[in-house]
Amino acid sequence: MARKVAIVGVGMQKFEFCKVETIEEMVFDVARNALEDARLSKDDIDAVVTGSAVDAFCGIVNSDKVATDGAGGFLKPTMRNSTSGSSAVSTPILGYNHVASGMYDIVMVICYEKMSENASAQAVFNTVYDEAYVRPIGLNVPIQCGLEARAYLHRYGLTERQMAKVSVKNRGNAISNPYAQLPMKLTVDDVMASPYLSWPVKLLDTSPVTDGARAVILASEDVARELTDSPVWIRGTGRGADSVWFMGRANPDLGRLDYAYLAARQAYEMAGIKDPAVEIDYAEVYDPFTFKEMQHCEALGLCPEGGAGRMIDEGVSWKDGALPVNASGGLQGEGNPIGAGMSRLNWCYLQIQGKAGDCQVSKDVNTAVCNAWGGMYQYNAVMVIGRD
Amino acid sequence: MSKKKPEMTIGGTIQVDYEWSVGNAGERFFTEIKDHKRIMGARCRTCGRVMVPPRIFCEECFVDAIEWVEVEPKGTLVTFGDCYFSTDGKRLDEPWILGIVRLNGADGGLIHFIKEAKAEDLKIGMPMEIVFSDERKGHILDISHFRPVKESE
Ligand SMILES: [Zn+2]
Repeated sequence: MARKVAIVGVGMQKFEFCKVETIEEMVFDVARNALEDARLSKDDIDAVVTGSAVDAFCGIVNSDKVATDGAGGFLKPTMRNSTSGSSAVSTPILGYNHVASGMYDIVMVICYEKMSENASAQAVFNTVYDEAYVRPIGLNVPIQCGLEARAYLHRYGLTERQMAKVSVKNRGNAISNPYAQLPMKLTVDDVMASPYLSWPVKLLDTSPVTDGARAVILASEDVARELTDSPVWIRGTGRGADSVWFMGRANPDLGRLDYAYLAARQAYEMAGIKDPAVEIDYAEVYDPFTFKEMQHCEALGLCPEGGAGRMIDEGVSWKDGALPVNASGGLQGEGNPIGAGMSRLNWCYLQIQGKAGDCQVSKDVNTAVCNAWGGMYQYNAVMVIGRD
Repeated sequence: MSKKKPEMTIGGTIQVDYEWSVGNAGERFFTEIKDHKRIMGARCRTCGRVMVPPRIFCEECFVDAIEWVEVEPKGTLVTFGDCYFSTDGKRLDEPWILGIVRLNGADGGLIHFIKEAKAEDLKIGMPMEIVFSDERKGHILDISHFRPVKESE
């Protein structure tokens, strides 16, 4: 029987392009912030879990080795996790497993990415594609997204203008986020007028290249109740993977993320949530591209399948809407240091605690969901958190 | 954007050359393309699914009972993407196009260049065909590109 696990503190820092801080320095900053937030010291931490997506971004192979000291891992059990972009949520899931299993009472979870120091993020991305069938063709990120976005809009009859509204919403929300890299006041026409990377994806449908880290401290029920009167529990976790051979899958349609629906179903079953569109108060949804937020809202059951266009059109996911999504600005507005997209979880926690500052939504938030995506259109990780 | 940028940095390059095996399934697949312009799929003897790209096992049935079958060098356009940026990030005047084509007789397909067509001529679901390269050496570029099947055919 799994033990209950609470989030007892989070560590934030500004997301930026070209940070002076090394990975070690970035990680130390967020780890210390999280300890302060939880009113704990390094010696209280039983184990450390770190996560980042792609070492080729920072050019430091096995980069967890330089994250260890800053994460408070000196002479402690440590473990590094990587499931590409979905590390952003699979890493705190690994931390959850450490505590839920009964192995450790207090675990520091750190996610980081330093993406600005390579000469070409595009060249790094090209190294992740299959060497025999894909890389020689020269697939790049714009086309990778174009292939998926076109299939998605085609399948459900959605539009570029609906995608553009997600960009307007998220970059606008980021204006209230002191940690954000790319706050912008935009109109739909601004987004529509930005240059195409690959139809239907335009420059302002994307997220920036970012340096940054995030920390979360997890604790067992006994410890959490000592530390706080109002613990925020991890209520559900889920993960799903599809085949790396995206051109040869059983479900060939890149428009429907079977693996994300699977991850969401697991997390909701574990949390006892039957109707997420009603029971979830707030969501931080993985949005490296505008259409990814839309696909993920559907897979997470925040709207009906194919209903993400109506959701944004009707204002449901706006900051003052019935089910706000990414009031922090998301990856598009806050920045996208891939693994450190764990910020989605941090913001769910801050919203539930009422500590989201100017990003705080006006409605009560008791239950929130976040997710992350990675691999070759391949992985999804989902976490549901909430009060008793 | 950040106000301060690192003043002290250390430059460096990581460059390592590799020779990747194409694997047991890849050797058969690329040899058939090179010698016979044939596209081969791997049929799972348990579920009957024909995998392209071919594999030595089916990830659903998790068996390695595979038989090789020839599939058509023609199929259906699943999706496609055009791009004004080259893979090394250079801005292009004319877009290049990649597409995924599910091949007839297979439950999968390939991603490759689309040529002899503009993006506005293309539609998801339309019939496409493979054009092989004249010079072939056992490589995915032994296929030159996909193109729409000509009306007269
Ligand atoms: Zn099978």
